[in-house]
Amino acid sequence: MDQPAHNAIEARDVTLMFAENAGVFDQTYTLAEGAILGMIGPSGCGKTTTVRLALGLYRPQRGSVRVLGADPAAFTTRHRARIGYIPQQFVLYPNLNVVENAEFIASLYGMRTGQIRKRLNELLEFVDLADARNRLGRQLSGGMQRRLMLVGALMHNPELLFADEPTAGIDPVLRSRFWQYFRTLRDDGHTLFITTQIVSEAMYCDYVAVMRQGRLLALDTPHNLKRRALGGEIIHLTLANPAHLASAVGTLRRYRHVKEVRYVPGTDRELHVTVDDAGDWLPEVLNVLENPDGPNIVVESAEELALTFDDVFVRIIHQWEAEETGKQS
Amino acid sequence: MASDRHAPHRTDMSSLRHHDTIPGEILRWLIRARGYFLKEVREIRRQPLLIASLIGGPLLVLVLFGIGFVNSNPVLHTALLLPDDLPADVRTRLIAAVRLNFTLSNHEYTADEARAALARGDLDVVQIVPRDIFTGLQRGENPTIQVYSNAINPLIEGWIQYLAYAQVNEINKALLTEQMRLAQQQARSVSVQVALGAERLTELEGQVGSAERAMIQRDLRTLRDLIMQLRDMTPPNGMVAGQGDEIQRLRTTADDAVRSLDHVNAILDSGSLERGLAEIRESRELLALLEQQITIFVSIAPETIVSPLQHRYQNIRTEGSGQASGAYPAVVYYAPGVLALLVQHTAVSLGALALVRERLMGAFELFRVAPATMVQLLIGKYLSYTLVITLLATVLTAAMRLLGVPLLGNWQFFAVLLLLLTLASLGVGFLISTIARSDSQAIQYAMITLLLSIFFSGFFISRDSFAGWIMPVVAIIPMSHGVAGFQALMLRGTLPGTEVWLELALIASVTFALVAVLLRRQFRAT
Repeated sequence: MDQPAHNAIEARDVTLMFAENAGVFDQTYTLAEGAILGMIGPSGCGKTTTVRLALGLYRPQRGSVRVLGADPAAFTTRHRARIGYIPQQFVLYPNLNVVENAEFIASLYGMRTGQIRKRLNELLEFVDLADARNRLGRQLSGGMQRRLMLVGALMHNPELLFADEPTAGIDPVLRSRFWQYFRTLRDDGHTLFITTQIVSEAMYCDYVAVMRQGRLLALDTPHNLKRRALGGEIIHLTLANPAHLASAVGTLRRYRHVKEVRYVPGTDRELHVTVDDAGDWLPEVLNVLENPDGPNIVVESAEELALTFDDVFVRIIHQWEAEETGKQS
Repeated sequence: MASDRHAPHRTDMSSLRHHDTIPGEILRWLIRARGYFLKEVREIRRQPLLIASLIGGPLLVLVLFGIGFVNSNPVLHTALLLPDDLPADVRTRLIAAVRLNFTLSNHEYTADEARAALARGDLDVVQIVPRDIFTGLQRGENPTIQVYSNAINPLIEGWIQYLAYAQVNEINKALLTEQMRLAQQQARSVSVQVALGAERLTELEGQVGSAERAMIQRDLRTLRDLIMQLRDMTPPNGMVAGQGDEIQRLRTTADDAVRSLDHVNAILDSGSLERGLAEIRESRELLALLEQQITIFVSIAPETIVSPLQHRYQNIRTEGSGQASGAYPAVVYYAPGVLALLVQHTAVSLGALALVRERLMGAFELFRVAPATMVQLLIGKYLSYTLVITLLATVLTAAMRLLGVPLLGNWQFFAVLLLLLTLASLGVGFLISTIARSDSQAIQYAMITLLLSIFFSGFFISRDSFAGWIMPVVAIIPMSHGVAGFQALMLRGTLPGTEVWLELALIASVTFALVAVLLRRQFRAT
């Protein structure tokens, strides 16, 4: 992760234990201003606890957290005025309409009626809720409720927005729109800390933190994370003749820029070749194999393997589990 | 969403940033409190059924009570078992006396049937009048009317015992009146004989022959027996106290007259009239006095002799209008209590659910993250609920006025009392809300508060009925002071006592402080 000029959040060795293996342990991370940090992990892995620690709702038992330069447990009203928060569940009021709910949240931040009116019109347009402004909270769909929560959190134009699983339980189209909202906010200078269980959403973030059992397993850009998980980038090769498969493996394993060669399970002429950078090394790999003075193996097709973040996530988890097992043994 | 969408930041948000002035901070403080206030008011406004039930419910109960309540005394279904030997007129008068307080069954019961009906619950009371009631009275016994009940309600049992006591008093009075009437009849006939006896004694003072003397002696002996009978029938001295000296001395004079006639008889037996003239004269004078006293005795109504002391009741509230009774109808009397009950229960219920509901739905987390404080939350909620309850109470009071419930006192004091009761009750509700872990627990605590209030506030049972050590419990119930205060202001037109104002203010202050301390702990980082 690049060292930013200013960090919105700085956490060092933070531990908060509720029970054995429940809580968060030794968390160290930073979040640069103007970036999106996506915290990914399964349910119960400590994402919400991390958010609550950063919001000052919990105090760490060990370590320190600083948010916007202050200890969250000692936030003043001025600090709080710079922060927006979307909790995991819909906590607005079913008997108030969209406008009244948003007005209520805005009033907690001391906004005047004139400010509220202007800001609300802009935000309702922004999240496509303008037509539902008079609809009661209980009459909103799940997606609309989430958008209303976003409106509430943005009413006072916070510098730093925490969103705890804002896309949980909503359809992929709406999820995509939420991430568009978040990226638009990021582009306008806001800092966002977003938790999610949906691994594929990592690609929308500037930085991704992977969590499991209260521990931060990795934190990096999505690109770097992928490289770290796979040990580089993978070139998917399909040979013209299956008889050349063993020869191709041997040739590539001798080539010093190739990190790893693996057979693709269930096929008889496909290989996965790991290199530092697929774009840079693909032509060289083809040259080595098709060298008429060397192996002279015909490659039918070659392309960079596009792995999903689910695969990356699984690999990171497996690597961590293997390390843990190694430590224990 | 269009790809050129920008985050909305055109609104000038600069005043939210950190170069705020003190007036700006104060303004924002007020805006936050107002935010909670408006939110609560809007939420309640969106529940018209809740509002309708809060006003209509108690009013409907009051109207039904007014229409349906016909008797403040219990209706006691009673079997009266009378002996066969009772004279018809006595039987009639006895039934009339019992009917004054008990509802007599038309069914004829034997003693065993009546007890069985009592055990089944078909009857509330069985009264058994003994046989030979008058013979027993003549023998100086105290015949007993046996009264049975199968009551489980202590108040009803108290009523039965009191009504039976009052009924026996009435019967005793009737019996004595009857006896007095008979004594007066006897006295009238004796009075004629006494006058004749006096004439006879006058004749003895003159010259009478032996045959005439024997006749006089016979008449005087008859007279002596009549006076003895009269003496036995006249009321004892204690009973006729207050009826004048002449009546009080009637028995003594009768005794003296008998003794004197016995002396005269002895003189006549001895045959020496000349030596007994002084006694004869004295006896004649005693008979004259006795006649005089009898005349007075028979001139007084027998009821006056039996019940010399009467009472006259006057409620000073209605003294000017000439009406003896001045108490309100039950529906009016209970109306201030209903108002106090409505105010307290609504405030306790709203308060009890207010915080626990938001804590459970997760809104507390939002509040803790926002720059709003716990005091703003409390003030906003207090203000909104106070407004709602005041409006409800105003509508209910207006409806009560239409039902004839007066507001004799100063309406400004009424408004202040309503406000204090609301704040004190809200404090109790919020206190419940801070300690309850769930909605159902909060409702349970609110119901316990309601139950406590109905028993100990003086709404139905007078506070004087309780032991001194329970008074602190009575004092911490806001409704106790609400009932007393509203009754004084509405029904008497007087200002409630200082303790009503002070204790309500104390409850409101202490509960607010407790809620603030407990809520501050819940707002802190954990």
